[in-house]
Amino acid sequence: MLFSLKWLKEMVSIPCTREELVAKFNLMSSEVEDHYQLVTATNLTVGYVKTCIMHPQSDHLHICEVDVAKETLQIVCGAPNVAAGQKVIVALEGAVLPGNFKIKKSTIRGVESNGMICSLDELGIEHKYHQEDGIHVLPESSVIGTNPLEVLHFDDEVIELSLTPNRGDLLSMMGIAYDVSAMLDTALTLKDIFVKEVKESNPVKVSTQTPSCKSYYARVIRDVEIKESPEWLKARLIASGIRPINNVVDITNYVMLETGQPLHAFDFDKLKSNTIVVRNAIDNETIVTLDGKTRTLVADDIVITDGHTPVALAGVMGGESTQIDQSTKAILLESAIFDGLTIRKTSKRLDLRSESSSRFERGLDPNRTLLACNRAAALFEQLANGKVLANVNSFENQNLIPIVVDLSLSKLIKVTGYQYSEKLVSNVLKRLHFEFKLQDGIFKISVPTRRIDIKTYQDIIEEIVRIAGYELIPTTLPKSAIPGSLTEVQKQKRLIRETLSTLGLNETITYSLTSESEAKSFDADEKESIQLLYPIVETRGTMRHSQIPALLEVLNYNLSRKAENVHLFEIGKGYSNQGETEFVSGLMTGVFDDSKWQGITRPVDFFVVKGVIETLLNKLNVDKVQFLPPKLPHPKLHPGISAEIIIEDISVGLVGKLHPSLSSEKGFPDTYVFEVDLKAILSASKPNDKMKEVSKFPSVSRDLAIVIDRSISAKQVIETLKKAGKKTLIDIKIFDVYQGEKVALDKKSIALSLTFQDNSKTLSTEEIDLLVSKIVKAIATELNGELRS
Amino acid sequence: MEIKKQIEELVLNAKNEILTIKTMNELNDLKAKYLGKTSPFAQLMSQMKTLSNEEKPLFGQAVNEGKNQIASLFDGFRLELEQKAIEEKLKNEAVDVTLPGVNFSKGSKHLLSKTIEEIEDLFIGMGYSVKEGPEIESDLYNFEMLNLPKGHPARDMQDTFYITEETLLRTHTSPVQVRTMLEAGGKKPIKIICPGKVYRRDDDDLTHSHQFTQIEALVVDEDVTIADLKGTLLVLAQKMFGEERKIRLRPSYFPFTEPSVEVDVSCGQCGGKGCSMCKQTGWIEILGAGMVNNAVLEAAGYDSTKYQGFALGMGIERIAILKHGIDDIRAFYINDLRFNRQFK
Ligand SMILES: [Zn+2]
Repeated sequence: MLFSLKWLKEMVSIPCTREELVAKFNLMSSEVEDHYQLVTATNLTVGYVKTCIMHPQSDHLHICEVDVAKETLQIVCGAPNVAAGQKVIVALEGAVLPGNFKIKKSTIRGVESNGMICSLDELGIEHKYHQEDGIHVLPESSVIGTNPLEVLHFDDEVIELSLTPNRGDLLSMMGIAYDVSAMLDTALTLKDIFVKEVKESNPVKVSTQTPSCKSYYARVIRDVEIKESPEWLKARLIASGIRPINNVVDITNYVMLETGQPLHAFDFDKLKSNTIVVRNAIDNETIVTLDGKTRTLVADDIVITDGHTPVALAGVMGGESTQIDQSTKAILLESAIFDGLTIRKTSKRLDLRSESSSRFERGLDPNRTLLACNRAAALFEQLANGKVLANVNSFENQNLIPIVVDLSLSKLIKVTGYQYSEKLVSNVLKRLHFEFKLQDGIFKISVPTRRIDIKTYQDIIEEIVRIAGYELIPTTLPKSAIPGSLTEVQKQKRLIRETLSTLGLNETITYSLTSESEAKSFDADEKESIQLLYPIVETRGTMRHSQIPALLEVLNYNLSRKAENVHLFEIGKGYSNQGETEFVSGLMTGVFDDSKWQGITRPVDFFVVKGVIETLLNKLNVDKVQFLPPKLPHPKLHPGISAEIIIEDISVGLVGKLHPSLSSEKGFPDTYVFEVDLKAILSASKPNDKMKEVSKFPSVSRDLAIVIDRSISAKQVIETLKKAGKKTLIDIKIFDVYQGEKVALDKKSIALSLTFQDNSKTLSTEEIDLLVSKIVKAIATELNGELRS
Repeated sequence: MEIKKQIEELVLNAKNEILTIKTMNELNDLKAKYLGKTSPFAQLMSQMKTLSNEEKPLFGQAVNEGKNQIASLFDGFRLELEQKAIEEKLKNEAVDVTLPGVNFSKGSKHLLSKTIEEIEDLFIGMGYSVKEGPEIESDLYNFEMLNLPKGHPARDMQDTFYITEETLLRTHTSPVQVRTMLEAGGKKPIKIICPGKVYRRDDDDLTHSHQFTQIEALVVDEDVTIADLKGTLLVLAQKMFGEERKIRLRPSYFPFTEPSVEVDVSCGQCGGKGCSMCKQTGWIEILGAGMVNNAVLEAAGYDSTKYQGFALGMGIERIAILKHGIDDIRAFYINDLRFNRQFK
């Protein structure tokens, strides 16, 4: 809401500067979006063009002799509409126009020019407000040598409020005046309205067939003269961000700004009857609106009809058939209240949001409908020489009586934590112009109908707190003594973040919304996507199933910026028709620990990534984890270098090398990814509560090299060894795997280091020899293997 | 005594020769030369049998003394050499300690995670629990139960991604508050914070992101006041931005709170005098808050004549942007490692 400070000052006493008022607005009422001098141009004067001849060296420049009272200046002017006998705006030498444009003496094609004759654009009045080309011609009555900004009523300041949806009352000058009166504790100076009526009686009958029209007031004004509005009115509209059109339209807009009540003027002679009937539209009924467009209506829309045909789309836009034009002689003035929700739906559907619809949406003061009707009628009489017919014809279905809200002083104190006194509260309510009675510590407050946002004692508390000032309220902390903590799952999520970042991975957070194809691009099985009804862009229209596509995108971004070793992880969700699944996902490429100068670089391979996952799971106290070749190869992973991660027979995720064809398509180096289901691994986490006994007896190690078929996995070897070695075999480490010339073509050699220990005694060499021979036997019988010679 | 002279001479020669020695081998050779089987001492000893019984002890003593003298000379010199060898060895082993250490990790937590953890820890310290909830929500929990019925003008404040007429991507983490209140059955006091991803139908630019992160706090009890809210906000502002910071509350509007406030923190760059960062106001808006609207309490089963509460909600990106001087909200989601790694 933009408003003119000069206008406001007619309605309420403001004994402070604009800046001080703005500060008060911010702290006590509504946030100020912007505030400024309407026109910042300096050193302007009213001039009289005595002579105007063409510049001899130009086909469009004029040389003017301009009387500016103190002297007569020669000014070269390029505007086509400049002419002798005009009163014009002259920017004198030294003037500064908007955009820091300084006026200096100059010579234009050999002719001296001492100043500039200005257009409204050059004063900073945007073109949309006047649509004038060329210089602005002032009224003849303007006095030479005076300030043209005063003549045009542009000597004004503007404040723009950024209104919250509840404060519909501040969409009117009157509402702002009431709030400023409360903020500054100063007097209101609102004027009474007098309507001079003629004898002829208003012939129009109004009725409604829809509950969506709450009230309707109609007046008829005859013999109106359609013309330009006076300068003061135009200036106030411009300051308020509305383009002046003609006096009739301007008056309806002006009164809307003043009272908040939208008005509509019909050309009375174009109405086909003396009947106004408000009703719901009929499905597929059409109306041509003021902008010339044919609108197809639905039954929820409200229309104003002449008894048969719609003549206006209620609250949204007038109809073309009854539009005011230059030949209009009589008008029917409508001041009505329509249901806000209905207007909101209609204006949204037709994309016709307007000053008027936004006011209906927020709700209006039912006591201003008649007032606005009369205020406009009075202005038609004054500014359009109209004859106002006697009587306002109307119906009224609204409650015009203020509601009463009770608030006890004790409740106020209990909610705020500040010891307000009865005196302070009474004073604030008076400043707000809220009538009240105080009985036994309870304020019984009649809420003025202009404040339809106030319905409960909480609303009253807000009014008191903001006007008395938030700075009064002390700072304390809630008294409750509930201990706070993270849940186990939350703690473990933090541990995951801690562990992976310590292992050298960088956490990412990426967008959940992606394109339809990317969303499922890492799916192993069919899942249905969750899609937005109205995405902004299709590339962010579908919820991702997996985080890996986003990690690949991050990889791509960083590779193209010369990053080499990219190690990423993300804790976040995948979304599908199966619900929201939280994942820990990762991506690794390049070199893992890079200490090149020492000759050590460890390129990321499958076992690095596996090690990362194993370390993580170990930290989380998850054991019995298996990495097995996937039952069905994942289409985006290398079929031989990928594994399913299994915990107690349940697949909780996957890890593998990105399929070489995908890597080469994207231009990636060897890249490894993993994704595990967070809930599944956390539910497998079994924290150690009790200490396990540490053996007091020494352990003994034996190394063993065996030759087995290549197809036998390390897992099978270890399982066989464990079974044979029983409890005494406490650790098995693989320290070499060999396949090549020194063993048969289909064989491989595995070197193992076995550690034996007993909790109750020192193992003798004989006992260990016996165990080893059992193990060797098991290797022979179960794995068809033998010791390597 | 000729023998004594002879021995003195030998000792003197040994002393002089030792001084020319550089290595342990030379030392051993020299030792053999003076004390070995063919040494002058051995020759002297072989002369002993030619002497009389009276002379023998004196002669023997003199020879032994000479030998001992030379032996201790060698021992002393051996220690010296050994010491030198150790020093030499250590000298050779010296490394350039300014070379880089082993590169274990360049890992990092995301700045948003770090900021969330920091705020969580702060609130946990004040007795709050952390609650999470789904991101795909019902219109009922995201809006209607928060005093935002369908068609409410305030719905425009949060442009929404709908999935169906009734389901949507949550526009704030407030539905977690609703869920928590319902779980509590309208009976128990509540003290929670709700962090999480939220979504709004905004075009991405320097200051807008269609996905961002929120933390909201909710306290419901019999005697929670605006003063408690103000105190909590002050703690938050001072812990996040510095002990010298001040806050101020300004009237605002959210359908789920009444009264509602915007919270400003004093500008850290100018200390409140006004600068470009705070648009000359001395204050920077950081979050919205208010007392829980009775309609919200009642919808969740709380008796609003008995219970009251406050709620506050902040954008984590905004907090991090202000704290770390970040100029583009999109930086959080691009994941340029040169950016991410700055925050460990
Ligand atoms: Zn500042």
